[in-house]
Amino acid sequence: MTKTTDQIDDWQITFEKLAEEVNTPILRSFYQAGVAGLRIPLRDAPMVALDIETTGLDPNGDDIISIGLVEFSLDRIPLNAAQYWLAKPHGPLTAESVTIHEITHDEIKDAPRLSSFLDEVLTAIAGKIVVVHCAAIERPFLNQAAEKLYGEPLIFPIIDTMALEAEIIHKPWWKRFGRQPSIRLDSCRQRYHLPRYRAHQALIDAISCAELFQAQAAHHYDHDKLTQDFCC
Amino acid sequence: MDIELSEILDTLCEYAPFADLKEEPILQDMVKDIEIQYLRAGGWAIAPGEKNETLFFIRSGAIESTSKSGKLLQRMHEGDVFGSSSLLRGGKSSHTMRALEDTLLYRIPARWFIQFYNEFDAFSDFFELSREIRLKTAMDSQSSDLSLMTCPIHSLLRRPPISADHNVDIKTAANIMSEERVSSLLITNGDKVVGILTDRDLRNRVVAKGLPLDTGVDQVMTHDPISVDAGDFASEAVLKMMATNIHHLPVLKKGRPVGVISTGDLVQRESHGSVYVISDIYKQEDIDGLVQISQKMTHTFTQLISADANTQMIGNALSHIGVAFVKRLLQLGEQKLGPPPVSYCFLALGSQAREEQTITTDQDNAIILNDRYNDAEHGDYFRELSEFVCYNLDKCGYPLCTGDIMAMNPKWRMTLSQWKQQFSDWIQKPKAEALLNLSIFFDLRGVYGNKTLAKQLNRHIIEQAKDHKGFLSALARNANQRTPPLGFFRQFVLDGEGKQSRTFNLKSRGIAPINDLVRVHALALGSNKLNTFERLEDIEEAGVMPDGRARDLILALEMISMVRIKNQKAQIENGEEPNNNVNPETLSAFEKRHLRDAFNIVARQQEFLKYRYPGKGS
Repeated sequence: MTKTTDQIDDWQITFEKLAEEVNTPILRSFYQAGVAGLRIPLRDAPMVALDIETTGLDPNGDDIISIGLVEFSLDRIPLNAAQYWLAKPHGPLTAESVTIHEITHDEIKDAPRLSSFLDEVLTAIAGKIVVVHCAAIERPFLNQAAEKLYGEPLIFPIIDTMALEAEIIHKPWWKRFGRQPSIRLDSCRQRYHLPRYRAHQALIDAISCAELFQAQAAHHYDHDKLTQDFCC
Repeated sequence: MDIELSEILDTLCEYAPFADLKEEPILQDMVKDIEIQYLRAGGWAIAPGEKNETLFFIRSGAIESTSKSGKLLQRMHEGDVFGSSSLLRGGKSSHTMRALEDTLLYRIPARWFIQFYNEFDAFSDFFELSREIRLKTAMDSQSSDLSLMTCPIHSLLRRPPISADHNVDIKTAANIMSEERVSSLLITNGDKVVGILTDRDLRNRVVAKGLPLDTGVDQVMTHDPISVDAGDFASEAVLKMMATNIHHLPVLKKGRPVGVISTGDLVQRESHGSVYVISDIYKQEDIDGLVQISQKMTHTFTQLISADANTQMIGNALSHIGVAFVKRLLQLGEQKLGPPPVSYCFLALGSQAREEQTITTDQDNAIILNDRYNDAEHGDYFRELSEFVCYNLDKCGYPLCTGDIMAMNPKWRMTLSQWKQQFSDWIQKPKAEALLNLSIFFDLRGVYGNKTLAKQLNRHIIEQAKDHKGFLSALARNANQRTPPLGFFRQFVLDGEGKQSRTFNLKSRGIAPINDLVRVHALALGSNKLNTFERLEDIEEAGVMPDGRARDLILALEMISMVRIKNQKAQIENGEEPNNNVNPETLSAFEKRHLRDAFNIVARQQEFLKYRYPGKGS
């Protein structure tokens, strides 16, 4: 996976620009913390694995109902650096989504709104490289949350273990046989002989994702390569 | 706690020693301090020379432990913990730990380990450094208070003894028995028991013989009956009853009678059918009857196990039963062929002689003939008698010996002088290879006939063996040929070279090595005991092994034997033929852990044997 220097400079420039432009203090500090992590080797990079559960798949209509995150490095995931929040959504929970995340109405009826702790989330991830499984969910939902709350954008570089796995197992079409292997979190983990966790609890999924990235790095990557090479 | 880490807590609590701490809220604080680490196969958890500050829990994958010299020590998998021994030594690690497969580790900081170790007994017991203490604790936790082994005889007594003076006549005695509704009467002289009179005696010795009712009771009673002490375990009483085929034992306390214990009392206590099996055997008048009893043997065996009898007791019971078959067959044989032309002694060899028989033993026996034996004159008689016994033993579930070590092999029917010469040859000119198949002869017990012949032969062996270093070292070398496994790994048995197998033989890899090495020490110190546990007691007393090591071997033997009989019971219940092969998949984590300790103890004593009885080529 190679990124052009342009893209990296883009992140650098974007963060500098947003640090000037945004008015919300917490967002300004977030952008001021910068993306220096992109320019250091993977083995030394400060990372934070993150996962969210939502009421549905539409970032404009659906809400975040829980966030889990854990700071980690390539050889340690300290659980005392783990954090977890439940959020009360604006709309009702659909039966469909409850079967996925198993969070019921009872559990969240007394939970705070996302707005009351989003600052804490931003503080936790500021200056670190965020690692998620499937950036296409986390990225727009978090951005949407910031837009709603602050009226300003929240964007940052992400290491997406799902995208990395897709590349790792990619075969040219003439070598493909049968169905493409799954790149769902659980399937990816099995390829690295990681244990099966009870899925869809945001903190356990964040820990799962951190473990998966440790495994991917142990099997496929040169730890001296710069973090930027793995970001999107 | 934050329920969000409960997944990790729950996983830990599925395994010892954390399972014991499940209810402790502080465990939740510990979980928050865990660090997770992924290791690719080949990666180090504890690299050579590295100081260790972590207790490791294997969440998935496998870890291999190696000594400084590169020797494989152990393989561990999901749910196992490691690192404790270096933590207990201040972090100095004598072993390296390396991922054998892709592995996910939970790293628990040392301070939690130290805290739990100091606070919770269940936790510190688990990490006890001495495998001997670990094994002892484990065995203690297994024994139940209700078993015959641990229940003292006085607790089974239901009433004070009913007795009569030795001067009364049998009518008076019978009246006392009727009034008191007892089936036995102690006959006393002052406060000493001089005899016992039972219902059966009145039937067989009085009524059947037509004796007058004023006959003195001392004419028909059993004089100086075998008795037990009130403080003995009930199992002692069972064994004495079985060995002697009697059903009433006076119970004495400081020499005075305090009661009578009968088979009924024991049967009521636990369904101890085995006591009756022996008297049944003696009642049989033909082979068919014996064969029928033998078909119920698996039932008797499983009954003994269910009654919580320990392995010594089961071995003892099955040996007595085995001997009863032999004796009855010899009696029937003598009825058929007439009285023996010269005196002889029928020998039990091997496990039956050691009184350690199990449910799957083929027969090993021999005959000592009086020196007046003359082949031309008496040969046919003993050939026919021994063939009668051996072939019928085979029918009764004691298969013919594949090594042909049987009385019906003319080679193993010798006069006392010939036997002595034979043993002198084996002992004075030892050939390790030849001795390999002959060790069974060094466990030899006379079971029928003129037992003095067997005693004389045993005395000869004891005198010869202890002074012949070459013989002892050859025997020691043989004893070390069969080694115990290193331990277990998942569903496999693990050997020193890293070889993994699906099943293993608990007899040849565990019990026989102990029997063999104990025999060497016993012969070296001139012990006249045959039973391995009794030999070990002599060995301990004589101080042949370093302090406490004989005790350790007793524990190891008990542990391995227990697993064997439980495995055999399971095989019987599944409708399979019981054997000595164990599939590790059927073993509990508890059994695996403690079998490994037992194997370690055996391996160490095998090492000691080499050093204690050095010889050429060893």
